[in-house]
Amino acid sequence: MTEKNIVLEIKHLKKAFYDNGFEEEIVADFNLQVEKNEFLCILGPSGCGKTTLLRCIAGFEKYQGEILVNGQLKKEPGVDRIMVFQDFNQLFPWKTVEKNIQYPLKQQGIRDKKELDRITAEYLAKVNLNGIQKKYPHQLSGGMKQRVAIAKALALKPQIILMDEPFAALDAMTRNKLLAEVLLISQNEDCTFIFITHNIQEAIVLGSRVMVLASKGEVKIDEKNTIEKPVTPASEGYGNLWKRLHDALEDESAQEQ
Amino acid sequence: MNKSKEKVYRLVVQICFVIMVAVIWEVTARAHIFGERSELVFPTLEAIAKAFIDNFAIGYAGTSFWFYILNSLQLLLLGLFIGIVLSFVFTGLSIMSKTFHYIYDLIVAVFDLLPGVALLPVVIIIFGINPAVIVFLVVHAVIWPMSRNILDGFWAVPKIYIEAGKNIGIHGIKLLMGIYIPATTSYIVSGIKVSWARAWRGLISAEMIFGIASCPGIGLYINQMRTNLKNAEMYATLIVIIIIGMIVQYGVLEPIEKHTIKRWGMTR
Repeated sequence: MTEKNIVLEIKHLKKAFYDNGFEEEIVADFNLQVEKNEFLCILGPSGCGKTTLLRCIAGFEKYQGEILVNGQLKKEPGVDRIMVFQDFNQLFPWKTVEKNIQYPLKQQGIRDKKELDRITAEYLAKVNLNGIQKKYPHQLSGGMKQRVAIAKALALKPQIILMDEPFAALDAMTRNKLLAEVLLISQNEDCTFIFITHNIQEAIVLGSRVMVLASKGEVKIDEKNTIEKPVTPASEGYGNLWKRLHDALEDESAQEQ
Repeated sequence: MNKSKEKVYRLVVQICFVIMVAVIWEVTARAHIFGERSELVFPTLEAIAKAFIDNFAIGYAGTSFWFYILNSLQLLLLGLFIGIVLSFVFTGLSIMSKTFHYIYDLIVAVFDLLPGVALLPVVIIIFGINPAVIVFLVVHAVIWPMSRNILDGFWAVPKIYIEAGKNIGIHGIKLLMGIYIPATTSYIVSGIKVSWARAWRGLISAEMIFGIASCPGIGLYINQMRTNLKNAEMYATLIVIIIIGMIVQYGVLEPIEKHTIKRWGMTR
């Protein structure tokens, strides 16, 4: 559509790590445009640079090229791009659930206790958690911790939420539940998602756009996911898309070896 | 249920052990196995108990033992406070500046190896003979192990906390206060434990070595009892030292642990 709808633009991104004088290129000349409220799922074999890409967007890594959010160049981390990590230990163990969510909000200048409590309850409800405000992270299950991390990210109303395989370490049942929740949230919130995964099903269920990366961040597939939500394996086009994504990934993995 | 049973068992075992030691002591004392010196080496429990009370009631040269204790504790607390605050300042600066860190790391490594008492002659020349020397030695005893612990803790802070912090837009001093320090709490608590133990020993030894009437402390009191062959009083003083140590351990340090790292699930 029009230029205005582009929330994230990446131009000629290059990222290399230096080890003992050797330069190892992780991402070479990567370009991307993401529209507002898109749910972009990125698939790729291990080592293809997808996590590095996400970390560059988050501002955790130095890079060459340009990463623009709403037209502004981003080199440092910021609240407009919130990362949800795979690690369950991303919540601060010395703060209760409530304080974990409120601490970043306070940094944004929200001081009113009532307002903070209201926001906390609102976003915890969005991830189907109630009455755990006073608990410490170590008292929660892995799935609950990830839910709190998502609530914490949403409460900040970022432009983009970056998710790096947040459910990879969860059991299948919890994962499916969380997928359904995230899907619902993404449809209701005014927010753009970039979601990295190994799991083809996850990508099809969540993504409004799916992407397969090959090594050094080469784009193999990049297409809109037109399958009607909520997606089940019985949905029309599921098998087709699954096969295409699967083959692209297989190709890549075969080359690796 | 099982846990509380174990607690009771532990307590019973420990009490039985203390009673056993006391009984052996008393038997040895009454057996006079050291002949003439027996009264000095093993005063009877009764004599020690009486001395314990006399220490407070009568004291030495008209000054109650309370006065010595309070004087020691005052200097100790002042030294602990200064030492801990300085540790936080210097380790905080180390996090923010690499150059400072390299220098401070060296300073900590060097001075941690120097026993405070060995510095005493130099310190006396600098400060003269007055309580500042004791405070200096306590600070010396506290600052290096405390700094070492905090620094080790800072490097062990999981990267994910720091990135999560940066992600929500905090940096500099806020990152230090909001992420680094709380994430390091278990190291800080163990640092305080080590520091407290070192400070307590450093204090008593310094007072014994350079015990003067202008700075009456627990160490000096022991020395005065020794020179007057009042060994029962000396033992009674040792008991007081142990009691104070235990009050700090169970009344201060354990509650700190319980309200921080145990509550946050940072330890088993």
